[in-house]
Amino acid sequence: MRARINIKVAANNSLIFPHIEKVIMIDELTRVSFTNLEKVLYPELGLEKSDIIKYYISIAPRMLKFLKNRAIVMNRYPDGIDKEGFYEKDAPPGIPPWVETFNKYSETAQREINFIVCNDLDTLIWLANLAALEINITLSTIDNYETPDLLLFDIDPEPPCSFDDVIEIALSLKEKLDELNFKSFVKTSGKKGLHIVLPIIQSYNFRQTREFVHQFGKFLARESELVVSEFRNSRDPGTIFIDYLQNTRGKTMIAPYSLRAAPKATVSTPLEWNELKKGLRPEEFNIFTILKRKSDPWEGLMENKQSLEVN
Amino acid sequence: MAKEKSTAKPSSRSIWSGSITIGLVNVPVKLYTMIRDQSFSFRLLHNVDGQPLKYERVCIRDEKVIDWKDTVKGYEIRKNEFIVFKKEELDAIRPESDERIKLDKFISLLSIDPVYFEKSYILVPDRSEEAYSLLMTVIRQEGKAGLGKVTLRTKEYPAIVYAYKGALILTTLHYANEVTNPVELEELTKLKNPSKNEMELAGKIIKELSGEFDITEYRDGYRERIEKLIQMKMKGEIFVAQVPKKEEVKELMVALQETIKQLAK
Repeated sequence: MRARINIKVAANNSLIFPHIEKVIMIDELTRVSFTNLEKVLYPELGLEKSDIIKYYISIAPRMLKFLKNRAIVMNRYPDGIDKEGFYEKDAPPGIPPWVETFNKYSETAQREINFIVCNDLDTLIWLANLAALEINITLSTIDNYETPDLLLFDIDPEPPCSFDDVIEIALSLKEKLDELNFKSFVKTSGKKGLHIVLPIIQSYNFRQTREFVHQFGKFLARESELVVSEFRNSRDPGTIFIDYLQNTRGKTMIAPYSLRAAPKATVSTPLEWNELKKGLRPEEFNIFTILKRKSDPWEGLMENKQSLEVN
Repeated sequence: MAKEKSTAKPSSRSIWSGSITIGLVNVPVKLYTMIRDQSFSFRLLHNVDGQPLKYERVCIRDEKVIDWKDTVKGYEIRKNEFIVFKKEELDAIRPESDERIKLDKFISLLSIDPVYFEKSYILVPDRSEEAYSLLMTVIRQEGKAGLGKVTLRTKEYPAIVYAYKGALILTTLHYANEVTNPVELEELTKLKNPSKNEMELAGKIIKELSGEFDITEYRDGYRERIEKLIQMKMKGEIFVAQVPKKEEVKELMVALQETIKQLAK
């Protein structure tokens, strides 16, 4: 079926300046064949699949650079977020020939997996059409899969810890990173936590990045009553776990600007550090508000690769 | 002894110990600070987050921050021309404290022009109560001050020792070349002799305004206003400085270094 949606895009087609609009038909823009465009995916907000596709088209100029050359893991919700979703590493059957893939043997699955690689707008739109609301990326690129180029501190609270608590811990982590001269980037997870990312030179293995983050967790756990550094304590009520375990080959994090399968259609949103103040709520960053943000706080991420040597 | 209000509290530790020596006589003493500067000091903070700022030595050519260990002392002989001194060279010629207040002679206390007074310290007996008491009593009775020299820290000073409120006081003095002679100021060379009438009138005024010296009549109004302001602010919002825990961060650094080293392939 070939469906049509009207979409407002920038007059120069760059999509970067949403205020300069013209209306074009989306299938003039893409090779994707759409299905079930009226399917409601966020029932509380009444958002249909076409809204999701529009969102990903509009955010693509900011988002694509973070997906580039990375294996994608999708969380798909074809029947909406109220119904069970599923995560999918493998490219589904019937994949269009123009969608790029990356073949890798998975030790956990004990077989070859055909990962999707999203290097262009069409692929992103295609993912949206699969109701892949949540797009996850690996912390390494496909040309050097065993070698991370991102290091992730996943700050993950357990109730009754509040988002204010998460902010406090994130800021104290940043203070330590600053003292050690690391440039760090922060984003909301779109759910309860925050992600702090260091772009790094491709000279380390995952054991090193994992243990690096773990060391920070142990350090913060000594300084703060809230922080726990070990997985076995990560579900203790009222704690904040500095999750280091995602720094593992093949593991992923939610991509910057990806939607979350949460009732308010929140977005994992890159922030400026000075935006991180008590009282901030992750729900403020959602499908409706994100495009109004003027600039991308993670603009320089990939140009800031740093060594992990401390001195 | 009755304690006077409006004086500074004594410090808890002596800063120097040695002996007053007069010829062959030794009076062991300890030295306490006497002058407590009460002027107000503020810390400089960043106006965005209230964090304390520190000073750093910055190279004027490339703006790089220079570590203490990478510095030497230079004496500027002409603009931007320096003679460099190594620490060892300066140490070799530095005056050594011989732990003595060596008094050469006794002079009338009132004969010393106050312009030479630099800083005062309290001397207390160091298991030498008898000799101390004798020296204090006799110079008080005679209205004398012992004049000599003392080395404190790394500087040698002319100094006097005299009696004040039941104690011996050491006051360091300025060297002659540290005090400007007023005669060298041109404005003072054109003074006229006043007339007899003027002198009588001025003398009357002075007589009317004559009084006793009482330093407690004077207060630092600025300091008092600031103290009041601090009290007010204490009830409201204050910035709590988060002093970085340097030692702990060093521990973290070591842990990170080892992690990276040990887990490398």
